[in-house]
Amino acid sequence: MSEDVLAKVYEYLTPGLPVVPIAQGAEAVVFTSEKHPYLPNSGKFILKYRPPKRYRHPSIDKALTKHRTIGEARLLTKLFLIEGLKVPKLIACDAYNGYLWLEFLGEELPHGKGFSNLKNFLWMYATDDGDPYCSIVEETLKKVGQQIGLLHWNGYCHGDLTSSNIVLSRSGKNETSWQPYLIDFGLGSTTDSVEDKGVDLYVLERAIISTHSAHAEAYNEWLLKGFSEIYKRYGDAGEVKLKEVTKRFQEVRLRGRKRSMIG
Amino acid sequence: MVNLNAVAPGGGREYYVALGLEGSANKLGVGVVKHPVVGKHEGGDFSYDCESQILSNVRDTYITPAGEGFLPRDTARHHKNWCVRLIKQALEEAGIQNAAKDLDVICFTKGPGMGAPLHSVVVAARTCSLLWGVPLVGVNHCVGHIEMGREITKAVDPVVLYVSGGNTQVIAYSEKRYRIFGETLDIAIGNCLDRFARTLRISNYPSPGYNIEQLALNCKKKDTLLELPYTVKGMDLSMSGILAYIDNLAKDLFRDNRKNRQLFDRDSDEAKISVEDLCFALQENLFAMLVEITERAMAHVNSNQVLIVGGVGCNLRLQEMMQQMCQDRANGQVHATDERFCIDNGVMIAHAGLLQYRMGDFVKDLSETVVTQKFRTDEVYVAWRE
Repeated sequence: MSEDVLAKVYEYLTPGLPVVPIAQGAEAVVFTSEKHPYLPNSGKFILKYRPPKRYRHPSIDKALTKHRTIGEARLLTKLFLIEGLKVPKLIACDAYNGYLWLEFLGEELPHGKGFSNLKNFLWMYATDDGDPYCSIVEETLKKVGQQIGLLHWNGYCHGDLTSSNIVLSRSGKNETSWQPYLIDFGLGSTTDSVEDKGVDLYVLERAIISTHSAHAEAYNEWLLKGFSEIYKRYGDAGEVKLKEVTKRFQEVRLRGRKRSMIG
Repeated sequence: MVNLNAVAPGGGREYYVALGLEGSANKLGVGVVKHPVVGKHEGGDFSYDCESQILSNVRDTYITPAGEGFLPRDTARHHKNWCVRLIKQALEEAGIQNAAKDLDVICFTKGPGMGAPLHSVVVAARTCSLLWGVPLVGVNHCVGHIEMGREITKAVDPVVLYVSGGNTQVIAYSEKRYRIFGETLDIAIGNCLDRFARTLRISNYPSPGYNIEQLALNCKKKDTLLELPYTVKGMDLSMSGILAYIDNLAKDLFRDNRKNRQLFDRDSDEAKISVEDLCFALQENLFAMLVEITERAMAHVNSNQVLIVGGVGCNLRLQEMMQQMCQDRANGQVHATDERFCIDNGVMIAHAGLLQYRMGDFVKDLSETVVTQKFRTDEVYVAWRE
C-alpha cells in the first residue's frame, strides 16, 4: 500500500481517530477503527476508502468515485431492510471523497486460524483434526446458500461472490452456530435478469472449486440446497423461478465464464 | 518439463531461422528471426528469453484515403500485389541466399483477422513451403503479439493488455493457456478510434490512432473534460455506445448545429468545444477504462507486471497512464514496445511460430493450413511454457 494513500486518509480523518489498514483491492482500501466516526461509542468499525486514481482525468475520477460509493451505500441500505438478509450496517457515507463507514463483523477464529470469513472457516475444518463434513459446516453452508437465495429472490446480485466475501459471525464465544453475512457489494447491482443470477452462482462455484478443491462437491451441493430452500418457500411461483435460475446456471457453467473457454 | 530444443535445427546449423508472414488486417508484414540453440532451453521455461535476433522486419501498410476504412477485398488485393516483393526484400535483408536450405520453418497467421487478407497471405506461405520444401506453422495472431512482447521486454509472467484495431483483451497465463480475464463486449478500441478518425475525416497515415493522439496533445482545455459514457462492466468493457455518442457530437459540430448547447455557447453561439477537445476526451475516457480493467486483473491474479501489446499500445498517453497505475501498486512494472513490434509485423509471427515449431508442433498436411476469422487466444495450447 502506498504511503500517499495512508497520508490522504489521515489528513481526511479527525485527528486522533485511529485506523489500521487491513486489505487492498483493485479499487478500494479497507481499514478498521476502534472508534465510531460520530458517536461516542467504541467498538470495531470498517472504513472503506476508494482513493483517487492518478492515471485518470480528475473529472472522470470524481464522477466515478461518487457514483460507485453512492451505489454501494444505496444497495447496502436497501439490502439491510430485507427481512432475514444479513449485510453489514451502513454507518456513514461521504460519496464525494469516497469513504464508507460500515459495521465490523466477524472475529478471530480459535487457534490462530485467521479471520472468520468462510474461506478460513472451511480451511479450519478441512485440516487434520477437523471434519470437513461435520454438521456445523453443512449447517453454515446451507445458511450461506439461503443468504444468496434471499438476495436473488429480492432482485439483487452480488457480482463477486467468493468465500472471502462471506463473513461468519456468532453471538457468543461458545456458540456453535454461525451466521453468515455477505460483504463487499462494490460490484453489486439491482437486477431481475436470470443471466446475472446464473453468473453469480457460477462465480461462487468456481471460487469454491479453486480455493477448497478437495471438498468442493459437497460444499457446492449444500450451498445450492440452501439457495433452493428460499425459492421453495414461495410455492409454485418460487419453483418456476428456481428452475429458470438453475437452468441458466447450468448453461453458464457449460459455456464457461462468458464465452468459449477451452481447457 | 519444457524442452525447447526437442527439434534440432536443419542443415546441421547451430541456430533456427524462421520466416513469418502476417496479413490479418491492413498491414502486410514479413520478418525473419534467428534463435540460437541455447543449453538452458532444454530444462525449463525460458520462452521469454530466446536470445532471438531479428534479421529483417519489413512491412507495407494499405492506407486508405481520409474518411474511408479498408475493405477486405481491396486489402487482400494489396497483400497479393506486395507479398512476393516483401518476401524477397526480407530474405535479402536477412542475407538468406538459399531459402530451401537456410530456413527451418515458414510461419503464417492462422487467425483471427479479416478472411480475405488472411487467405491471400496463406496462399503465399503454402507456395513458398512447397517450393522450398520447408514446413509450415500456423500462428494465432494474439499469441504472436504476446510472445514477441515477452521476448523484447523479458517480462516473465505479466498480465497482458492486448489492444489493437480488432482486439481488446486482458490476458493472463495459467495452466498452458493464455486466459482472457476481460475483453470488449462489442467493438475493439482501435476500431473505435479508427471510426472516429473517419468521422473527423483526418488522414489515415501513418495510422488514424496516431493522428488522434497528436490532435489530443493540442487540446487547449485539458482541465474541463467533456463527459462521455464510462462503460466498464466488471472486467469487461463496451465501446460502441461511446463511439455513437462522440460521433453524434462531431457531426453536430461540423453541421454547425447551434441547438446543441453542449457544443455551442448559449449566449455567444460560439463553439465551446473543438475537434482537439473531442479527441482528448475520447482518449482519456477509453484509456481510463482499459487501465481500470487491467488493474482489476492484476489484483485478481496477484501480479505486478503489465505488458502492453497491439497497435494501440504505441500510444504514449496509454503507456503513461499505465505507468501511473503501476507506480501506485507495490513493485508495479510496465512493459511496452515501440511501433516496430506493437504494430502488426512478420517478426512476431516468426518468433511465436518458431517457439511452436521447436516444441514439435508444425503442419503435417496442407489441409491443416486453413485460416480462420475467429480464433480465440485461449484456444491455443501453449506448450512452450510451464
